[in-house]
Amino acid sequence: MRRFLFNLFAWTVVGLVAFPLLWTIVTSLKPQTELFRIPPSLLPGEITFEHYRRLLRETRFPTYFANSVVVAVGTTVVVIVVALLGAHSLTRFAYPGRERLAQLVLFTYLLPSVVLVIPLYLLLVEVGVANTLFSLTIAYTTFALPFALWLLRSFMAGIPQDLEAAAMVDGASRMGAFVDVILPQALPGIISTAVFTFILAWNEYLFALVLVNQDTARTLTTGVINMLVTSFHIEWSLLMAASVMMSVPIIIVFAFLQKHLTRGFGAGGVKG
Amino acid sequence: MTIRNLNNSPTGLTRRSALAVTGGALTAGALSRATSAQGAVTLRWWSPQSVPAQLAAYKLQIETFEAANPGIKVVFEPTSDETYAAQLAAAFASGQVPNIVTHLPSFAVGNYWRSGLLEPFNDVIQMVGPEKFYPGANRIYEVEPGVFAGAGIGGTAANSLWLRTDLMKKAGIAEAPKTWDELRTAARKMQGGGIYGAPLPYARNSMTTLIFICFIHLAGGQVFTPDLQVAIDSPETLNALEFYKSMRELCPPGATSYSWGESLTAFVSGATATGIYTGRVLANVNAQNPSIKDSITCTTYPSISASVPSWTFNDFPSMFIPKAAKDMGATKKFAAHIYAPEGYIKQLHAAPGHVLPVLKTIADDPKYQDNPIIAKYANEVKIMAAASAGGFNLGFESAKHKPNAKAGEVVNSAVIAEMVQRVCLNNEDPKKIVGETAQRIEKIVKG
Amino acid sequence: MTAVEALPRPAEQGLKLSTRYGLLGALLIAPTVLIFCAVIVYPLVSAIYLSLFSIYTPTLKGRWVGLGNYADLLASGEFWNALGVNLIWTAGTLVLQLVAGVALALLLHQNIVFRSLARSLILFPYFMSTVVAVLVWRWLFNDLYGILNHAMMWTGLLSMPLDWLGRMPNAMISVILVGAWKYFPFVVISVLARLQTIPDHLYEAATMDGAGRWARFTDITLPQLREVLFIVILLRAIWDFKEFDLIYLMTGGGPVTSTMTLPLLVYKQAFALNEMGGASAVAVLMMIVMLGFMVLYFRTGRTAEN
Repeated sequence: MRRFLFNLFAWTVVGLVAFPLLWTIVTSLKPQTELFRIPPSLLPGEITFEHYRRLLRETRFPTYFANSVVVAVGTTVVVIVVALLGAHSLTRFAYPGRERLAQLVLFTYLLPSVVLVIPLYLLLVEVGVANTLFSLTIAYTTFALPFALWLLRSFMAGIPQDLEAAAMVDGASRMGAFVDVILPQALPGIISTAVFTFILAWNEYLFALVLVNQDTARTLTTGVINMLVTSFHIEWSLLMAASVMMSVPIIIVFAFLQKHLTRGFGAGGVKG
Repeated sequence: MTIRNLNNSPTGLTRRSALAVTGGALTAGALSRATSAQGAVTLRWWSPQSVPAQLAAYKLQIETFEAANPGIKVVFEPTSDETYAAQLAAAFASGQVPNIVTHLPSFAVGNYWRSGLLEPFNDVIQMVGPEKFYPGANRIYEVEPGVFAGAGIGGTAANSLWLRTDLMKKAGIAEAPKTWDELRTAARKMQGGGIYGAPLPYARNSMTTLIFICFIHLAGGQVFTPDLQVAIDSPETLNALEFYKSMRELCPPGATSYSWGESLTAFVSGATATGIYTGRVLANVNAQNPSIKDSITCTTYPSISASVPSWTFNDFPSMFIPKAAKDMGATKKFAAHIYAPEGYIKQLHAAPGHVLPVLKTIADDPKYQDNPIIAKYANEVKIMAAASAGGFNLGFESAKHKPNAKAGEVVNSAVIAEMVQRVCLNNEDPKKIVGETAQRIEKIVKG
Repeated sequence: MTAVEALPRPAEQGLKLSTRYGLLGALLIAPTVLIFCAVIVYPLVSAIYLSLFSIYTPTLKGRWVGLGNYADLLASGEFWNALGVNLIWTAGTLVLQLVAGVALALLLHQNIVFRSLARSLILFPYFMSTVVAVLVWRWLFNDLYGILNHAMMWTGLLSMPLDWLGRMPNAMISVILVGAWKYFPFVVISVLARLQTIPDHLYEAATMDGAGRWARFTDITLPQLREVLFIVILLRAIWDFKEFDLIYLMTGGGPVTSTMTLPLLVYKQAFALNEMGGASAVAVLMMIVMLGFMVLYFRTGRTAEN
């Protein structure tokens, strides 16, 4: 009985936290006419996929989606490669200025994007890549690289030196040992860092708002908000359908990588 | 590049180089995506007016133009009333500007012209035929004698008072209110049962600023004197604030964050008994809430007393071409094409009575008259057309006023909306707030 | 980088192993350093430089004003107001995140049915886009059709729909709540991971010594969580302080300027008032404030450790 009550309590709390998500899905499936019913109906009287069809057929949503995929994947790949090498260097090599550099990483962590956004914008205008997905990828490294480096550094510091030393006794080079010993050990950390980086880039709004003013290069965040502010009758069901579709990659991450996420994060991220 | 260096190390190439290649391919892909559009001539067209029916009209205009001009592509990109200023500022700064911008308030044009950012619009007006415009329609765009910074694409009566005749009858109100007292009484009578009196905006946005400027004029006041001295600190402004504050309890709770879309939806969905909007109400009611389509009407917005004439906020939706736009020849050709009867009429019909024609040749065109909504609400459309013809805005407050090049900054700074919020929501001392607001506007004008 | 300059060329034979390793280490960090210089250090320096000019955004034409922008800002109520608002928002949402995060981590650490589904649902808000979170909540908060108002009227908590975002203090409470809802899972993840590493024998020993539930929590769990909470607070404080998206999209800074935090002020200066120099000055001041807090934070952290 006590177990049952505890379970009930726990699930009520979980349900409250998750309610906005469920409500999003419910709203996205309601016909337009049912939306303005007072009081609102808890479950749709009739389920329709009309809003999803319109979203994919009649709006720029697919373009925005593709743009977001390109930017988020691009940022993640670049950042992970660079940060992996950097973190390896910071944890396994001795050279002057190393500690200073590690501190710099932490410092760049403190930097608000809003400080960088204006000069970065001017810089990208100067270089002539403003208004492109490429400019967003560059901009996103400003927060993603310190983040990934910091996460990977603390994670890789936790990998025992002995394994690497053993591989080198067996004749492997430093880089060989890195690839054969450290990378596999660091894999959970790499995956979690990659997932976090991807999500950071996927969700970014400020840079996308300032750096891109061209519909063909808009990402989901600014594109969907644009759909909200430009409409003269706000179609909540369409926006809720957009919200669900925007979350699809994240749902996928959840379905397949959640274990890595919590384990990698716990071990690598928060230890500092 | 740095990644390539590392590939020289003796072992473990495969995984790393694979990563590097993917990274390179992705960024290269992103680059080419962005630059590929520059092969052929592509014209970018911005407008904050982009509901589906309007998009369909734009599509027709674009298709007919592209068919007649092979090799030129036109891309429509939506912006919004609340965000265009920031987006255009960024676009001008980066030099990557749209070719044509339509449906912005006329005061934006003067502002950008003054900063040397616009191409003279004379060529386009010549291509359309200056004699086709209503006389004086483009006077406010004549920034120097004979030089036009832009042109009108339509007129609006943005602060028309919309009424529900069924609710009026139920509440025993015989006539449309003419004064503020009558309006407030009527709104109070009709409020109840989930219906609110009015959807006035109390938000920190441009709609609140623009609508409240109407109320200052409806109280007999002005924001600037005809020779552009700040004149907002006046008893009229205080009267307007007092009335506006008294209307708060007759507006939906969320009116504190209303912009045009929410305010419109509130009236159209039947949540408020009166509305304040352009003729777009007609199309939206017929499409979204046909149950009230036979019980709506409009008139000019009431003023403080019978002795103060009504004042119509005509947004003067404008059209202009940024100086930095590429392919100027094609751009101007397309700008003129927007006025071509077939497409222009379709554009106007997308929201009948919302944007009113600036070409008298179009207003008289039977094809323009031939529209079920314009026919059904002939009287309402006539009222709005007359109101819009005698309408003004902050860039041009009255016939006596000089054009105000700082109007855009005053609106975007939100100082007037903040004044409304301070007095109506925070109950601060109106006298003090109005004084402060005058000072802040003064600072913006000088800055 | 100094290491590279000080050392002989890599091709040279007979290099000491440690030197060669140092060189390799420098080579590995080089991409990071280059990117840092290009996209962080350079913009940072130019932000400070820009803040000394008055720049009209659309034309980017500037005029040297020295410290004029700073003088204007520090004399204006706007900056101080934004700073105050920023601190209230940060403190409010951070406290809520911590309380809710630790509580839910403890809950999820227990053996409940469908635990992994429960975890997924709890963690989801953190990973979803702020844009989505804002859309969802604005729909929930909707004055006329929002479920929140109707639910509260139905249960009798409210008699009239509440204006969640347009009045004070509602607007601040609402953004703090949504911020907490969006970001508390970060605390949950971190704390949960740490909870799983606390050895069971500590609890067993305490139970044998007669410690109750609460005593076990305060004597064992909390001290074990101290380190992780320190890092979590550090990170969340930084992120919350510089939050732009959520507040900008929820309230736009209104009503009046009641939720206008420093990042919003930067955006307003740059793109609504077309004053890029003034915007940069706000940004630089904001950074200084954050640095000040960080230093303070590290100090207290260190003394607490001793």
